[in-house]
Amino acid sequence: MEQILATTLRSAAPLVLVATAGVFAFRAGIFHLGLEGLMITGAFTTVAVGDATGSVELGILAAVGVNLALSALYWWVIGPLGANVIIAGLGLTSIGLGGTAFALGAIFDTRGSIFTDVVLPRPVRGITSGAGVIISDLSILVWITPLIVLAAWVVLRRSRFGLRLAAVGEYPFSARSAGVNPSIVRLQALLISGSLCALGGAELSVGALRNFTENMTNGRGFIAFVAVIFGAWHPIGAALAGLFFGFADAIGIQSQINITERVPREFVLMIPFVLTIFAVWLGGLWRRRSLEAEAGYAELREPD
Amino acid sequence: MTGGLQRVASTVVLVALSLLLTALILWVSGYRVGDVFSGIIQGAVTAPGAFTSTIRWAIPLLLIGLGVVIGFRTGFFNIGGQGQFYIGACCALAVSLGWREGPVPLVMLCGTLAAVGAGTVWSLLPGYLRVRFGTDEVLTTLMMSFIGALVLQYLTAGPMRNPSGTGQTAASERIPDAFRITDGSGVSATVLVLVGGVALLVWLLLERTRFGLSMTLVGRNPTMARWQGINVSRVGLAAFALSGALAGLAGAVELYGPGARLVTGFSPEVGFTAVVVALVGLLTVGGTVVAAVLFGGLQSAIIFLPIVTDLPPPALVLLHGMVAFLVTIRFRAVRRPKTLGGKAAAS
Repeated sequence: MEQILATTLRSAAPLVLVATAGVFAFRAGIFHLGLEGLMITGAFTTVAVGDATGSVELGILAAVGVNLALSALYWWVIGPLGANVIIAGLGLTSIGLGGTAFALGAIFDTRGSIFTDVVLPRPVRGITSGAGVIISDLSILVWITPLIVLAAWVVLRRSRFGLRLAAVGEYPFSARSAGVNPSIVRLQALLISGSLCALGGAELSVGALRNFTENMTNGRGFIAFVAVIFGAWHPIGAALAGLFFGFADAIGIQSQINITERVPREFVLMIPFVLTIFAVWLGGLWRRRSLEAEAGYAELREPD
Repeated sequence: MTGGLQRVASTVVLVALSLLLTALILWVSGYRVGDVFSGIIQGAVTAPGAFTSTIRWAIPLLLIGLGVVIGFRTGFFNIGGQGQFYIGACCALAVSLGWREGPVPLVMLCGTLAAVGAGTVWSLLPGYLRVRFGTDEVLTTLMMSFIGALVLQYLTAGPMRNPSGTGQTAASERIPDAFRITDGSGVSATVLVLVGGVALLVWLLLERTRFGLSMTLVGRNPTMARWQGINVSRVGLAAFALSGALAGLAGAVELYGPGARLVTGFSPEVGFTAVVVALVGLLTVGGTVVAAVLFGGLQSAIIFLPIVTDLPPPALVLLHGMVAFLVTIRFRAVRRPKTLGGKAAAS
């Protein structure tokens, strides 16, 4: 049981970080399908720069930088240039997955994966028995993830920016009449989102592990996307959903070890996707208007 | 089609820009762009067997892409082609392996129908939720796609795994050779006639029938379509069903053609690439044929290229991403109806 909980925290932390990233984009009315791509560029850049400089902090800084640039490009394409949000988002994901796999070959002259010596600091380590196993050897990012979620909640709920974001997402016309430029607010939301994806990717590559593997996100960006929907576009809800999916993943890993014959891992892995279909269906029935940020979404599809 | 020429021109420019950007990345990474370019020409057209390979890869892109054309034209972002393709292939495989002693044409017919039916069902579920409850189809089709990939993974690693198979990759048993419509090259007269016929039928449906016109009208403006007496829900469901059927058919063609067995996660990019193909083809049947051959050529070249310039295959994923990222810029043909189905329709 302790082992499952420990694995849950490790699996959930990147999901929660990227889900929080997704919440910011969704609140701005952007259906961000590029999360997966930004997550893997974050994971790769952290390893590549961290390994080259020997400093994990510089690696993360570089990852945030790369993701800020990519997010700004995404904003430029879907905003001022009027490209389709969903297709461009999926394109961004392909650019991330293909680009990092390609860069792996071009820079490190290898296919598959690279190992690195840099790793995130781990405040508590070396506990091997009892309940302490759960929190032992977690990276610093796992520890600060709850703080990031809380901060996101405060920003969205209590700050001027959060209100503007809500206005832009739900009714850009009123935002504009209040003197807010929806386009700029969307850019800000996407930049925050990109930075958080970088952290999520970094946790994946140098938090629990010490390597970068081609396609290592393995759909986690989409699961995080799902967690946003499942968590009703709320940072706390999305974090809980991320935690739950991390738990499902942990059970899947355990079942692979213990009870493969009875519960095939694939069925455990399906849980988030099946639940999401139910969640969007029921969510659509219950709160058709309030949280769907439909107006903002519609405006982005046909900008003025 | 006002400004049709302008749209063609802007798409050509955007695709060229994507190629240029990718070439730039290759150049910065130290590849000789000239060599890569000549390698692409060789790998897609001039080398022995290259053009056959191009067509082989164009076929699934075209079939799934035509489904995307139907869906997007009707205003639905059905992006679950990958899962529908997988489920179709799995069902065709189940029929062919389960009834391998049966009369060959009958088994193949049943297998193909099973594939088409399964693809249809896989697409109709999100479709029903969309037209009945207004549930966002982008999410649900994407989720169904992931579930389909996991079903394939489960079947090839579990119940349908080739017991004598060795190696790491889970794969099914091979279907009997009598069931196959092509050799390993994936191209034969039968397949070409089949795929050409399907493309022609889709063209006839979209451009020459009342129903096709009502699809386009629903895609442009569902409210107006409803006022004109079109049953928007029915047209929407038909669009979802046809998209799924085409993707399922692509799965059957893949199995009876070049595949002969299913490997877990085969052709992982084809569903998404088909969306790109349809968009590059400007959601027209003719354009989609051209785009499918173009992207099939790139796919064929990337398999050929490592021999020429040791370019890793992910470069192709990068290029696809680049095209998708840019191709919808100022793209105005696709509009999703905001008030279709559910409560919003009543209000």
